[in-house]
Amino acid sequence: MMTSKFQIILIVGILLILLLILNMIRKRKLELKYSLVWLIVMIMLLFIAGSPEKLAEISKALGIYSPVNMVFFLGFVFSLIIIFVLTVTVSRLSARIRRLAQIVAMLNSYNGEPIEDDLKEKIEKEVQEIVGDKK
Amino acid sequence: MKKLAIIPAHNEKESIIFTVEDIKKNAPDFDYVIINDCSTDNTMDICRYQGYNVLNLPINLGIGGAVQTGYLYAYRNGYDIAVQFDGDGQHKAEYLNDMAKCLIDNKLDMVIGSRFIDNAGFQSTWLRRIGIRYFTVLIKLLSGKTITDPTSGMRMCNRKTIEMFANEYPRDYPEPESTMRLIRHKRKIAEVPVEMRDRQGGVSFISPWISVYYMIKVTLAILIERVR
Repeated sequence: MMTSKFQIILIVGILLILLLILNMIRKRKLELKYSLVWLIVMIMLLFIAGSPEKLAEISKALGIYSPVNMVFFLGFVFSLIIIFVLTVTVSRLSARIRRLAQIVAMLNSYNGEPIEDDLKEKIEKEVQEIVGDKK
Repeated sequence: MKKLAIIPAHNEKESIIFTVEDIKKNAPDFDYVIINDCSTDNTMDICRYQGYNVLNLPINLGIGGAVQTGYLYAYRNGYDIAVQFDGDGQHKAEYLNDMAKCLIDNKLDMVIGSRFIDNAGFQSTWLRRIGIRYFTVLIKLLSGKTITDPTSGMRMCNRKTIEMFANEYPRDYPEPESTMRLIRHKRKIAEVPVEMRDRQGGVSFISPWISVYYMIKVTLAILIERVR
């Protein structure tokens, strides 16, 4: 079982992290939407640290021998959840960036506008070479 | 009837002029738009020097994202027909007219230019042909439809399909997957025999190692498309 010393360290640690997250949300460094999953996980951890007896009960009910194993297991599951949420977010973001780039491309288009003189000089020779090769 | 050729180009400085002039000469009914997918050579400068119609992507999106840009352009500019046409000179513009005729006459949603109906012209390497054959069999098994050249990048779409592709198009190696998608949506697809050339310059984006990823990814995509 947990010693009360470790319990206190755990609770203080979690509270600090919670405060850090909340402060970052306050300063708009973290978007509330994406930090929700962190907040939920932290509060659940707080609950576990606060009442180890409950934890022992739950682990017994789930058929896990030692509550410490249960803690590791939960930590692993929480990490997976957070990573999964991030993957979903990345997928959505990349779809949005793609569409954004496509719209930008349509605004950033050329159709016969004259080009700068120095560029023209540079390209002229190359174009002649390419066209000459193919003939 | 407004027709557009979508030319995705990534580092195609050797062949882009050849490609566009081919369309201008042999398929004059078609407008064209080049999608410059962040080329690192001077493809963009060459297009501008030539006064071509070109859209310049600010970040590299890969072939799917580039082609989709073309479909979006076609949709927004009211084109009735759009065709994908590789910027590396593999495709021959003379076939565009046949394809358009087939699409219109048969009221189809998509026409694929296939190398493997008449087996004429450049036939790709044997290893690739095996890969292509595999997708033909896979699509046949899952949908009952035979597509002899499911990886062909020469595909012509009607307005309805343009809209669909503008909204949703696979990111990389899009051809077999989107073909499956159309079949699942009961769209009418047909193939027209075409000849292709070997590429006129540049390098293929499919290297040996990537093809393993390609096979796995596309197989999975087709399977997922089947259960959508």
